[in-house]
Amino acid sequence: MTTTLDRRQVLTAAALTGATAFGSLAPEDALAAPAFDVAPGAPDPNFAEGRIKSIEGSKLFVSGSDGVFHRIQVTEGTSIWKLTPVDFSKVALGDGLYARGVRMPDGLLAAESVWVNIVNLEVHISSISHNVLHMEHFGSKIVGHVRPGITASVYNGTPAVSDMSLLKVGKHVKVIGAWRPDTNEIDIATVYAAV
Amino acid sequence: MTIVGEMSWFCCGSAWGPCGSTGRGACGTCNSGSRQHAWPNASQACYDITRPDLCGISGMSRRGCGFQHRTTNLCNGSSVVTSIADCGPRTKSFCGEQSCCGANCGRHRIVDLTPSAYSVIASLSTGLRPARVTLP
Repeated sequence: MTTTLDRRQVLTAAALTGATAFGSLAPEDALAAPAFDVAPGAPDPNFAEGRIKSIEGSKLFVSGSDGVFHRIQVTEGTSIWKLTPVDFSKVALGDGLYARGVRMPDGLLAAESVWVNIVNLEVHISSISHNVLHMEHFGSKIVGHVRPGITASVYNGTPAVSDMSLLKVGKHVKVIGAWRPDTNEIDIATVYAAV
Repeated sequence: MTIVGEMSWFCCGSAWGPCGSTGRGACGTCNSGSRQHAWPNASQACYDITRPDLCGISGMSRRGCGFQHRTTNLCNGSSVVTSIADCGPRTKSFCGEQSCCGANCGRHRIVDLTPSAYSVIASLSTGLRPARVTLP
């Protein structure tokens, strides 16, 4: 007899037992699994956002921006992004996050993916200096730091390159980056631009 | 109705960091943790800002707050049904932009999902993915 464990069962088992022995899921593959039913427009119980107030072992205690408090269980199977894919040791108090996983009956979110400090901003480039993009977002100034070896540009969907020279002052771009908590600064992962 | 293009995600509602200034969107209901999306033709005022026609997109129906669409990630075939909560993306600012997964490509921004919705069908770190938008 063959027994098949689906993603929910694996995460549930890991959260209940504290197991950390199952392998990491590639995000694109993991996310290809069928979505759990949530009514369009409704809050998603398997999703959490907010800022980390405390860390106990591999558990994150997060204060949601809407006032809801979340307990999030991270396992070795949880993919964590903080500018790049990172391990749990890089997650810090005060970080902002989005997390997706499976909500347990006791309210714990068994995390499949955690994106730490991630921002996705449509901005207007106001000036460019050495390894820094100065940007405006909804009237607020954002300082974007170019991280050599990490930051990449995507022009019209072409493969990502490190060359930022096609970015122009006055243009609108989309930026994926990691916020530096309690500042108006981000580290830039990817700039998407139409040229 | 079927439109192929690019999907992305945006934050709204109560939020941390730079997202804190974004508000609840054109419909007044937008929330990053809910299954919602922004649509470029949510009203005439919205369309005047987004102008997908300037990128050569026709047939993007006017649909108001609460209307439901299904967005399918062309990289993995997974999909999510969401309701309109905001105006966007500003398609005209990114005319010609394209993202591909192998031979599956999307050209021009056609839909923005909330982080909750986007993360059902793609990793937030991808930022952009080719997508197909249909009726549920």
